Order: sequence, then C-alpha cells, then structure tokens
Amino acid sequence: MTVPILSAKEVSRSFGPIQVLFDVDFDLRPGEVHALIGENGAGKSTMMKILGGYLAPSGGSLWLDGAAVSFADHRQAEAAGVIMIHQEFNLALQLTVEQNIFLGRELMRGPFLDHAAMQAESRRQLEALNCPLDPRLRISDISVPNRQMVEIARAMGRNARVLIMDEPTAVLTGRETEILLDQIDRLRASGTAILYTSHKLDEIARIADRITVLRDGHLVTNASAADLTPDQMAEAMVGRELSDLFPAKREGQAETVLEVENLTVPGHVRGASFTLRRGEVLGFAGLVGAGRTELMEGVVGLRKTTGTVRIMGKTLAPGSVLAACKAGLVYLTEDRKDKGLLLGKSLRENLTLLALDRFTNIRIDTAAEDRALTQAISDFDIRAGDRGMNAGNLSGGNQQKLLLAKTMLAEPDIVIIDEPTRGIDIGTKQQIYQFIRQLADSGKSVIVVSSELPEVIGIATRVVVMGRGFIAGELEGNAITETAILRLAMGTQDQEAAPA
Amino acid sequence: MNRRDIFKGAALVAGLAGATVAQAQDETFTIGVAIPSATHGFMGGLNFHARDTIERLEATYDNIEFVLATAGDAAKMVNDIEDMVATRGIDALVVLPFESEPLTSPVQAVAEQGIWVTVVDRGLSVEGIEDLYVAGDNPGFGRMAGEYFVENLEDGDNIVVLRGIPTTLDNERVEAFSAAIEGSGINVLDMQHGNWNRDDAFTVMQDFLSRFDDIDAVWASDDDMAIGVLAAIEQAEREDEMWVMGGAGMKEIIGRIRDGDPQLPANVSYPPAQISTAIELTALGLVSDTPVSGRFIIGSQLITPENAEQFYFEDSPF
Amino acid sequence: MTDASTSTPPRRMRLNFHVFGPLLAMVAVMVIGASLNLSFLSPENLTNVAARSAFIGIIAVGMTFVITAGGIDLSVGAMAAFVAGVMIMVMNALVPVMGAGVPLIMVGMATALLVGGAAGMLNGVLIAKVRIEAFIVTLGSMGIYRSLVTWLADGGTLSLDFTLRGVYRPVYYEGILGLSWPIIVFAIVAILGELAMRHTAYGRHCAAIGANEQVAVYSAVKVARVRMATYVVLGMLVGLATIMYVPRLGSASGNTGVLWELEAIAAVIIGGTVLKGGFGRVWGTVIGVLILSLIGNILNLASIVSPYLNGAIQGVIVILAVVLQRESKSAD
Repeated sequence: MTVPILSAKEVSRSFGPIQVLFDVDFDLRPGEVHALIGENGAGKSTMMKILGGYLAPSGGSLWLDGAAVSFADHRQAEAAGVIMIHQEFNLALQLTVEQNIFLGRELMRGPFLDHAAMQAESRRQLEALNCPLDPRLRISDISVPNRQMVEIARAMGRNARVLIMDEPTAVLTGRETEILLDQIDRLRASGTAILYTSHKLDEIARIADRITVLRDGHLVTNASAADLTPDQMAEAMVGRELSDLFPAKREGQAETVLEVENLTVPGHVRGASFTLRRGEVLGFAGLVGAGRTELMEGVVGLRKTTGTVRIMGKTLAPGSVLAACKAGLVYLTEDRKDKGLLLGKSLRENLTLLALDRFTNIRIDTAAEDRALTQAISDFDIRAGDRGMNAGNLSGGNQQKLLLAKTMLAEPDIVIIDEPTRGIDIGTKQQIYQFIRQLADSGKSVIVVSSELPEVIGIATRVVVMGRGFIAGELEGNAITETAILRLAMGTQDQEAAPA
Repeated sequence: MNRRDIFKGAALVAGLAGATVAQAQDETFTIGVAIPSATHGFMGGLNFHARDTIERLEATYDNIEFVLATAGDAAKMVNDIEDMVATRGIDALVVLPFESEPLTSPVQAVAEQGIWVTVVDRGLSVEGIEDLYVAGDNPGFGRMAGEYFVENLEDGDNIVVLRGIPTTLDNERVEAFSAAIEGSGINVLDMQHGNWNRDDAFTVMQDFLSRFDDIDAVWASDDDMAIGVLAAIEQAEREDEMWVMGGAGMKEIIGRIRDGDPQLPANVSYPPAQISTAIELTALGLVSDTPVSGRFIIGSQLITPENAEQFYFEDSPF
Repeated sequence: MTDASTSTPPRRMRLNFHVFGPLLAMVAVMVIGASLNLSFLSPENLTNVAARSAFIGIIAVGMTFVITAGGIDLSVGAMAAFVAGVMIMVMNALVPVMGAGVPLIMVGMATALLVGGAAGMLNGVLIAKVRIEAFIVTLGSMGIYRSLVTWLADGGTLSLDFTLRGVYRPVYYEGILGLSWPIIVFAIVAILGELAMRHTAYGRHCAAIGANEQVAVYSAVKVARVRMATYVVLGMLVGLATIMYVPRLGSASGNTGVLWELEAIAAVIIGGTVLKGGFGRVWGTVIGVLILSLIGNILNLASIVSPYLNGAIQGVIVILAVVLQRESKSAD
C-alpha cells in the first residue's frame, strides 16, 4: 500500500460552540480516488476546507508526505500541490479562459505578458482534458461544464498532486459527467490523489477506489469501494434504511389546467405545445441546452414569447410573472442561489417575498410572517440553526425546501419545478419527491424539469422530451424508459416508430 | 457707456473714440475670448460683461469678429484656446486663466506664434508672456476694506471674517485686510471659509452667532457671502448689533447701500467689468495704432451711500 | 442533522454595536462638541444644526431608497438648484397676477414638487426602462440641471420677489413649539421613510432588487416600476427640500446645492445602508446627516484646527464611521 500524500489524523472543528467534525481520520494516496460522502451538513465541506487549507482544524493534525504540517491559508496548501476546486467556481467571469488559467502566475517575457505562450499552454492543458476550448473565450461565454474543465486545467497548471473536488458533477449532464469521469481516470493514472464528493451514488460507485462516509460530523465507514453498494452507501449516510426513494405514482385527473400552444421563445424554443392535467406530475426531460428552462421561463412570463398560454381555459397575459402568479402558476428556478433566494437576507424575508401582498395591508404584518415561517419550517422540515439566520447560510437542501415553501405560500394550482433536487443529499431528495407527490394528490398539478433521468422516470406519470428547442415527443406509463427518453432527446426517434 | 467710464482713464475713452473714426481699413481681425464659465455670481457678472462688450464691439467694428469660449476647468480652457488658434486663426487672445499654472505654457505657445495676448485678472506663472495685463487689485480690495473698519470701529471692538475658497486671491485679500487693521485694537474673533457661497456663509455665520455674544461688525469679503450672513443675523434678531461689509459690488447689495441701509454701510468694488476693459483695449490695439500694451490695474474703490449710484447697473445679473 | 458546518458563530454580543454604531458615533461627536464649547448644547445651536440638516436630510431619505435598490443619483444637488430656480421664476412671474400671498406660495410649492417629480421621472425612465447605468444617467442630468439653472439665472442669481420673501420667510424661520418647519418636515419625512422601508412591501421590494435583481424578477416583483418609483420619490423629496430652502435666502444660483449629492450619499452610507444595495436603514441616514452637520458646526464653533483642514476632518470621520460598522459587520 502506498504512503498517503496528505492525511488528516483525528481532526475536529468547531464553529463557536457548535462542533461539526469529531476526530475524523482521512487520507489521500497517489493514484487513488477517495470519495467523501454524507448528507448535506454532515461535515464534508468542512473536512475538504481543512484539507485544502481554507480552514484550520480545532483539533488533530494534518500530515503532508509523512510530516506534520499546518497550512496558514489555501495559498500555502496550493504551493504544496493541494488544490481545491469549489462548487461555486473561483473564476473571474469577465476574464478569458487563458487569463483565468494563469491568474496570479502569468508567464512573462521581459516586462510584458507572454500571451502566445500562455495561450499555447492553456490549449495544451485543455486538450489533455479532452476539452478543446478556445482559450480566448470569456468565462461568461462558456458553458458550466466547460467552466469546470477550466477549473481543473487551472489546478493541473499549478502542478496539483492532490485535487479536492467538491461535487464537480452537480451541474453536469450525464454525457458531460462521463467526460469528467474519464478525465479523473486519466489523472488517477498519472498519480494524482483525488478527493471526490458527489450526491450521485452511482457515480461514486463508478469512480471511487475508497469511500469514507460522514454522518453528523462523525466518521461512519471507511471502506474499499468494491465492498459497498450504492444502497449501502445511502444507508450509511442516512443512518437508517431507506425505503423506496420514489413514492407510488398516481394518474392525473381528466381536467386540463394548463394549455401551452405553439409557444416560441426567440433563440431557444420554437413552437412548443403541451398540456397539463389536474393532479398530474408531468416530467420534462432532455439534454442540457434543449430549451426546457427557457420554455418554462417563457410560460410564466419571464421571457419574451409568442404563442398562447391558457390556464383553466383563460389566456394568460404574456410577459408578467405577477399575472401568472395571480392565475395560480408559479415557477421554481433551477438556479436557487442566483435567481431563487436572497442569500444575504433572512429566512422570513425570503419566504414571503413572492406572496408579500398576502402579508401586507399597507404595513407588512411581521407577526404573520413569523407564523408563516414557523409553519414552513415544520411543513417543509427546514433545518435552520437559527430562525434569524440568512438564507445563504442554509445548506443546499434546506435552501431548496425554503424555495419550495416560498413558492407554495403563493398558493398556486400549478407548480413548475426546475431541477428540484440539484446538489441535494439523498435524504432530502426523498422528502422533496414525497412533497411533489402530495401536491399532485391534493389536486394541484406539477411539472418537473430534470436532467436526472431516474428522477423523471421515478416521479412523472407522463414525460415530455425536448431536443434542441423542440418538443421531440411525449411518453406515458410504461413507455417511460431511459432509452426511450434518450432516443427522443438525441433526435433518433425517426428510425423508430414515433410514439404517440 | 457711462458705467465703464469709472474703470478707465479719460485717455482710454479718447483713444477708443479716435479708433472708431479710424476704422476704414479692409483688414479683418478675430479676437478669441476664453473665460471661466458662470458658476459664481462674480463670474456670472464677468460673463455678462464679456458678452455685452462683444456684442457692442461687433456692432461698432465691422472688421472684428469674436470667438467666445467658457470653460468649467483648466483643461477645457486649454482645449478651447488650441481650437481657437488652429481653426479660427485668431489675431488676439483675451484670457482669464482658470488656474495660473496649467494655462501658462499653452498661452505662451500662443504668444510665440505672434498672436496678441491679453491676460485678465489672474496672472500667469511666467512673467512677460502677455502683451497686456488687466486685473483687479486684490491687496487693494482687502486693504480698503480694512481701512474702512479701522475708521469706523473703536479700539476693542469685535469682528468676524468670512473668507472665500482657499486660493492665492483670497490670501492676498485677507493678508492686506489683516495688515490694514493691525494695531487698531480691532479684535478678530475668528475667520472661517464661507467659500464665496451663500449657503456656506449662512451656516458659518449662524455658528459665529451662537458662539460669540458680542460682534460689532462682519467682513463678509464678498457680496454672495454677505447675503448669507445677513440672513443669519436676521434669524438671530441681532440686526442692530453689527454691520456687514461684503465686496465686489453686487447689484442687490449696492442698491441697499444706496438706500442707506444701516446694516450695509459700505462695499469695496472688484469690477467684473474688467473683462470689458480688456476686450476693448485689445480691440483698440488691433484696429488702431494706439499703444495699449503693459499692465492695467483697476483699483478697487470704496462704495458708500454717496457714490453707490454709479456702481448700480440695472441690467447686470450680478 | 443540522447544517452547523455552514452556520456562523453566535453574533448577539456585537450585533448591537453594529446596529447602534451610527448612534454611538453621533453621541461621541456631541460629547466632543459639548466639551469644546458650552454654547454647542444651547437649544438655538441645536435647532440651527437640525434645521440646516433638513434639506440634505430630506433628500438623503429619498436617496436611501435609491441606493437600497442598487441605484445612485448624482443629480440631486443640481436638481435642487434647478427646482429652486424654476420655482422662483414661476412665483416672480405670477406676483402681478396673483399678488404676493399664501395662494402664490402654494403654487410655488406645487411647482417645486411637480418639477422635482418630473426630473426624477426622467432619471427613472432612463435608468429603469431604457436601462442605462444610473451613474451615467444622473451624471448627465447633473450637468444638464446645473447648466439650466445657470442659464435661467443668466449666470447670476435668481432672487425671489421682495414682497413675496416676507410672506414665504416663516416657512424656514418659524414653526410650532420652538421647532422650525424644516425640522418638522424632516422629521415627518424620516418617520414615513423608516416605516416605508421597514414595514411596507415597497421597502422590502427595494431591498430585494438591490440584493439580487434576478431573484426579484423571479419573485414577481415589478422591478422596473419599483426602481422608477425610487427616483420619482427622490425627485419629489428634492422638490420638498427646495420648498424649505428657498425661503431661507430667497435666491438660487448656479452655486446652489453644489455637492449636496455627495453629502446625501455620504450620510446614507454612514447610516449603515450598503452602497451596492440590498440593505437600507432610514433612521441611520438621519443620524448620518446629523453627524455631518454636527461636525461642520463643531469645527466652526471651536476653531481648534486650521479651517483649511475642515474637509480633512470631515473626511476622516466619514471613513471612521463606516469602518466601525464594517468591523462589527464581520462579527455577524
């Protein structure tokens, strides 16, 4: 067995009086992918930050190449070849790919920047990652998966021996994930030690050599990946047996509540038509960039559109989120951090923002808001350390629950949820699926847009598949399978008998 | 015409009259005039007089054209002057430098091209560039005010002083004022900057009034500031206790002096019409053989109820 | 299972300091003032300071909403001069028709509110509808209004008709219960502003837009309308401030209201409102305005330092006031 490059021995960490890590051992060996998994708030992030030099441990020690070490900050860690890639990328959006890769260690020729050399080197790094991206593009102009690649290229450019990856695939589609995993394979083969976290357990099973499971700040399991099935991983994380992830499906009623006819969102979607029935859970599947989010944003009036949207037979005024909301139609964005919640504001203010007029009679009734928050915390099981905390300090899963609570406060009849479980641990996922089911059972109608096929298949009674700005087809009942969806999404249904 | 007479010697008037007769030649001249824009009462008056003079001279002389440019800062003024030389081919430049330093070398470059240069009010940092220098008398302005205070106050009387924006000009005035009252036994309680601004002067005077129980006179050193000072005194209902002296001869203040307001016994002139003198002299130098180069200092004059009428210009905005 | 790893340490202890920072700063300034000169605490002096704070204060309350919603308005000083100029011209022109009486003063006041509101509307439309940067729009309109008033005054000063001045004068100099009208109006504006910011949907929406415009859009907030309203309200408050200002000296010139915009913005920031938007505090703004006025007052009363350094002292205190809050902010 090889000697670990970086290891943590009996590491603890407290924030004020709250201890979040309890004597955890962890090590990273060259040429190994070591997965660190746990529910949101289990202490993964803290552990990674300690290893990456962003946080100092309150107790225990770090060892680098067999010698005790303490990183004063992440710069020191990076100098030692330990590099962390954050979930929220540390990329300067207005700079180019090349400028980002070389940020802080620019190549010089005399007093001037050596652009040619930096570009060539960037190109080489990206090609090594099988990501042929023009280094002159601005980060703001490239896709999220590509940004991930740039982050990795930047880390490799800094001669990373240890790479700490915080949920690198949370925002990637299946195919992009595959590419990333291939890159990780290659890095592993070249001797890099990789710490990998993800909520997608099948991915863990595919890529990890060893797995460490954290729960409530304690180390629960440390085992070879071969010895754990995804179900066992999930049970170790949650600490109880997980019953079926998805609740039983039930068909919708006959009544049509939402009719979208020939809706075009310029530049994204052309001539989309679909209907939604009362009590139905309708899935929207497709590859990233197929126009699902844009279509939904168009339906609720967030984007300029042509075409018709009818709610209970009444035509909806276009271009007004407020009108849609009043007609009972709401949309939960996939981007809860930038579009869904005010991270710097309190839970209460976030909760009531959409339905503020319900709490206002010239003056806002803060007492009623507080009652609503109490109700929401219990209804949606929002786990907040302190009612007065800011939304930004909630974990991802709890943010998603808060966003759900906020939306449901407007008492909608039709709820469109975009990527309901992105970046959320398995326990919370299950709660959210239950919740979606309850919504439908109570006579409301739900559209679930998701890039995770098992999710769409598990929750929806009918699935609309989109590909490149069109509605490619619709699947119902037993016809909803991964292959059928993929065929429609990739545009290969022509060779088959087109369903419905 | 009569209002300008007080600023000029009789010889100049004679010269102008002579030149009016002598303008028969076909040659045409262009005179560039560069002055700061009207951001303050005094500059407003100066702008008014510049326009007024240009209009009048253009009517009188068929062969003189004017280019007038006002600038809000020194850099814009430099650009204006360069444009005048390059695109309008001016024969003479009348300039009131926004600031001395930045304007010195651009104006010098103009002079080196053989263009007549008249500098108004604020000197350049290098001597001998201009052909003609026309200015008010800042030390005289302060001295004259000081002398009035010495004559009209007793030993041991208390005064407060409001100063302008901290500049050389303000320093010259205040130094001369201090020198003039030295040894008189007049007690200067405090000096604060009112920045030649009514609102600031109001505030400063309010505070002086809360702070000092006994004030016999105020040197507001500027008529805009005098307005603010008077409002503050009125609010405190201490009108009978002190008198106020402004400066620069604002229409409104001169009117009150003329009418014998006991609060405003006197003023010291600092004529915005000096620009008229400068433009007229420059025009005269171009169209006639009258020798006009040199320095032309327009002395400040004490304005009292007796002579106030001559300083009151009905249509001036200042 | 809680998300303790991302929650923060307890913040109760120093939170109070953050909240009361501006208030403490004001008390400190007042203690210094009282120790330097006894007449500082005289009712006359304190009412003088409060009354002279009123113009900037009324404007700064409006500015608090603009800044909270992520905007800025550099044009308020020039706008005040312009409104004052128009108001004086209208009133002077109507003296022969209406006579110098209360009705004419009312017309003048209505003019001020109307012109101010229209000027604010112009800024608002360009910023919220045409979507040009607020900084550029208001920088431009600042130049426009400043030039317009200079032009209206023909480079000089616009003075209110003398007979009217007597009728109008009490609006600045008199009041009820020893408080002059500017102080009363300032207090009312401040209280209404505080209520609007903390207890109405409008205030909440301003903060939401300033914190994250996207979230506001997705939460069905009428972003353009709310944003425009902040500028219109500010314009009307500029008009209101002008109504209080004109009777003081009875005049307006190109020199009126110079740098008011920066004083108003400084007061807002001293009061704890975040310059980049998202959080606003009207009572803090009131304290900020008072702090700025008190410093000037003390420097005039004490003459401990060369008057050349007055600006430096004000600058230091402004920065200190903000640094103090930042220190305590890092604790929560």
